[in-house]
Amino acid sequence: MAKNAIDLSVDFCGVHFHNPFLLSSSPVANSAEMVARSFEAGWSGVVFKTLNSDRLPIVHPSPRMAAVDYGRKQMVAVQNVEQISDRPLKDNLTEFLYLKKNYPDHIIISSIMGFFADEWEYLAKVSEDNGADMLELNFSCPHMCIEGSGHKVGQAFHLIEQFTERVKKAVSIPVIAKMTPNITDMTEPAIFAKNGGADAISAINTVSGISGIDLDDFVPRPNVFGIGAVSGTSGPAIKPIGLHFIADMAKCEEIGLPLSGIGGIETWIDALEYILLGASTIQVTTGIMHFGYRIVEDMIEGLSDCMAQQGITKLSDLIGKALPNLQPTDQFDLDRQGVAQYNLDKCIGCGQCHIVCQDAAGQAIDWDIENRRPQLIEDKCLSCMICSFVCPVPGLISFKEMPKDWRRRETAVMDKNLENELEYEPFTKEGPHECTY
Amino acid sequence: MSAADRFKHMNKGFDLGQALAEADRCLLCHDAPCSRGCPAETDPGAFIRKLRFQNITGAIRTIKTNNIMGGACGVLCPTARLCEKECSARLKSLERPEGADSPIQIGKIQRFLIEHGWQTGFQVFEKPAARPEKVAVVGSGPSGLSCAAELAQDGYQVTIFEERPEPGGVLRYGVVAYRFDMAFLEKEMQDIKNLGITFQCNHRIDGPEGAEKLLQDGFDAVFLGPGLWDAARLKPDAPAIDGLYSSVKYLSMLRDGRFNDIHQKVKDKTVAVIGGGSVAMDCVESAVKLDAKDVYLVYRRSYSQMPAESDERIEALEAGVHYLLLNQPVDFITSKQNCLTGLKLVRTQLGAPDESGRRTPELIKGSDWVLDADIVVEAIGNKAEDASPQWYPNVKVNNRNLIEVDAETGQTSVKGIFAGGDIIRGPALVVQAVQDGKVAAKAIKTYLNKQEA
Ligand SMILES: Cc1cc2nc3c(=O)[nH]c(=O)nc-3n(C[C@H](O)[C@H](O)[C@H](O)COP(=O)(O)OP(=O)(O)OC[C@H]3O[C@@H](n4cnc5c(N)ncnc54)[C@H](O)[C@@H]3O)c2cc1C
Ligand SMILES: Cc1cc2nc3c(=O)[nH]c(=O)nc-3n(C[C@H](O)[C@H](O)[C@H](O)COP(=O)(O)O)c2cc1C
Ligand code: SF4
Ligand code: SF4
Ligand code: SF4
Repeated sequence: MAKNAIDLSVDFCGVHFHNPFLLSSSPVANSAEMVARSFEAGWSGVVFKTLNSDRLPIVHPSPRMAAVDYGRKQMVAVQNVEQISDRPLKDNLTEFLYLKKNYPDHIIISSIMGFFADEWEYLAKVSEDNGADMLELNFSCPHMCIEGSGHKVGQAFHLIEQFTERVKKAVSIPVIAKMTPNITDMTEPAIFAKNGGADAISAINTVSGISGIDLDDFVPRPNVFGIGAVSGTSGPAIKPIGLHFIADMAKCEEIGLPLSGIGGIETWIDALEYILLGASTIQVTTGIMHFGYRIVEDMIEGLSDCMAQQGITKLSDLIGKALPNLQPTDQFDLDRQGVAQYNLDKCIGCGQCHIVCQDAAGQAIDWDIENRRPQLIEDKCLSCMICSFVCPVPGLISFKEMPKDWRRRETAVMDKNLENELEYEPFTKEGPHECTY
Repeated sequence: MSAADRFKHMNKGFDLGQALAEADRCLLCHDAPCSRGCPAETDPGAFIRKLRFQNITGAIRTIKTNNIMGGACGVLCPTARLCEKECSARLKSLERPEGADSPIQIGKIQRFLIEHGWQTGFQVFEKPAARPEKVAVVGSGPSGLSCAAELAQDGYQVTIFEERPEPGGVLRYGVVAYRFDMAFLEKEMQDIKNLGITFQCNHRIDGPEGAEKLLQDGFDAVFLGPGLWDAARLKPDAPAIDGLYSSVKYLSMLRDGRFNDIHQKVKDKTVAVIGGGSVAMDCVESAVKLDAKDVYLVYRRSYSQMPAESDERIEALEAGVHYLLLNQPVDFITSKQNCLTGLKLVRTQLGAPDESGRRTPELIKGSDWVLDADIVVEAIGNKAEDASPQWYPNVKVNNRNLIEVDAETGQTSVKGIFAGGDIIRGPALVVQAVQDGKVAAKAIKTYLNKQEA
């Protein structure tokens, strides 16, 4: 299929985006100069860095970020204590005018944060009046230095409804409510936002966390002159959390709003996963903090080629396509069981499969010392598949279903004789088949 | 860069980031093949894992407690045929056409860890309680140092006797400094000196039964690690010729204060080096760095029969050395003033394999010719000093004057005298000398414990 036949555009709350890739509200979207360059690179829209009303001075702690590394992999997550925009409101609004004038086909979403209803209303109105195409209400920053804001609001659901309602009354542009993941069930606050009139939900903002501690002085990072704080974690490490919340909201019929997916997106595959679970736009911060705006080129090209290969022309056809396959665990067919299978032609004899199976699984892999090869004892294999995660040769270890009558061996008891000394009665009471409280 | 500067420093090693990145590539193998491949049991499987899990001090400890010359070995070991040979990461690319993995650079990681220890001031060894037993070590090369260190760690009182002005053996007076520099050697020596060993330099053990007398002079055991400091010669009985050097003398001059003399001799001259081993490689490459006009490597067999490591062979070629293969030197041509003017060569062709499996060079009749040369360096092998058995007459030696020992203990035929390093193996490796010293030290401890009981 011709690549130019691929249509990546999406409609989100009635607003047309030429692709689903947006900057999320953060330092990557701090000024018009930056956003203009991002548009040139291919991003279709921006959620501008959260505006403040100038009522209270905003000062960013210094230093304001720390990285979480894994082995030689840098920045699997980022920890930040950055506040909302420290620029004067007038400057930020003037930047909107510039962007609208020079990039009329790109979408400007104004992110705002107030501390009480009048302030929310004010920020919403000035945004609309100065060219914002949409609003995003920041109910979700986990580390505001000023009490009673950010995710404190996002955790007090009635405030979400109240502030959304005031904003909706004040403006006619679509309103997105941005959710904090620092709760257990996101469908609940999302319904409050919907009741307040929100047109869409975006998620997630950063996850409350602690990135690490300096061992010289025992201060958590970022070390702000001797003090660390619980603050926002972002980046690849939080993607599973973001995917989960987006999917929950997409499955919840009562919500029924368009979704914007955020959290750990770097590649077109990450983005597509959010889309398959119900997001129609996606937003990126840490991916850009790590690699720059240029990654959007690979998102556009990669996603287009993938669609061309699968014969899908419209991206909107893919939204939510994985949802039917996402079910509660009680839907699993537990009668079907399998084991790991090894293609030892490719084995290089590192023995990692043996180590992890010994120490973390079913002791199902014997080690042939002479030939340096694993020997699978099939009926001890738990099918946890951890051996395949550590094996350095792709495709060597795979999963294979076993016949219906196949049985896994039970884990051996060290010393059966000790059964004589057991103090034990089997539990015999009848009970329900599901949990009751 | 002046010639002298070219000899001052070796290449930089890994920094922490590079070392961690390399450790990250390691598969952390079960029963690690690399550890099996190390002659000194330095245990890379363990020290790389420790580095990977940020236990950097532990990694340094693993190296140093197994191999007191861990830094030198990290720099000088021919790793491609030792620890890195069976590395699973390398196999990964062999077995997979799409893979491009190379072995983990174990030597480089090892060197980094040792240098990191020096930079951070981490001390592996604590001062042990002193013991009364005294051990004499003859020779301060890798085998002697390793034996001494292993004993000193347990509080034995060790004295090293060294005939040369400074300790280190080949590391000090043999290996060229751009491969192994003084600053590095000094630091590794300091680690050893810190163990409280007594060094007696400029002290040659000599004279009839010199070594055996040490046992009567109050030492409870003796370790012999004198190495091989005589050079095999093409014409052993020929009188001295101006311009003709043995590799031992030539390389020693680069490091023993006679650098300018040898530089003046070689500069703008034609140099021919005879031999095909690692020592010959050091000779040719250093001659290039000494601004020689032309440097020839003269070897009687062909490229693939050369005993030098393959990376050394390629490096010398790249440095501009002319390889004269399949040529057997037969005589030196001199002027009336007894100055060298050329090397007489006969072309060869390869015949049937000899007992070493390499094909034997056969002279081609009537093909002799003369290569004009101002300097000839003979690098055809180091051997034990002809007179050496005189100072240990009761110690059994073989027909090459190499000392015969029990492989498990390094024990010689004389009770209380042990030996190791090149003097028991013939020309070998630093890492093997380290292992010999360690093995002998352990045996000496057992021996001395038995003596006491
Ligand atoms: C030029 C050259 C380059 C080499 N390059 C490498 C390399 O890159 N990698 C590698 O692994 N190996 C290399 N080797 C080999 C390695 O250096 C030797 O295998 C190793 O040094 C042997 O150690 P040793 O302790 O047996 O003896 P040596 O290092 O030879 O030390 C013996 C010491 O004993 C002293 N001594 C001798 N007789 C007496 C006496 N009677 N009284 C007092 N002191 C005495 C000598 O002065 C000397 O200091 C190289 C060797 C040479 C010659
Ligand atoms: C340094 C930094 C500053 C941020 N500032 C804001 C902000 O002002 N307003 C907001 O709504 N979200 C803010 N965020 C959250 C991001 O917009 C985004 O929701 C979060 O980082 C997860 O996406 P990611 O994994 O792509 O970074 C910030 C994130 C970072 C890392
Ligand atoms: S982990 Fe893979 S490559 Fe390594 S021994 Fe097991 S099967 Fe072979
Ligand atoms: S053999 Fe190679 S991959 Fe395996 S532990 Fe040793 S260095 Fe690592
Ligand atoms: S001592 Fe040499 S052979 Fe042994 S692990 Fe270190 S570099 Fe490899």
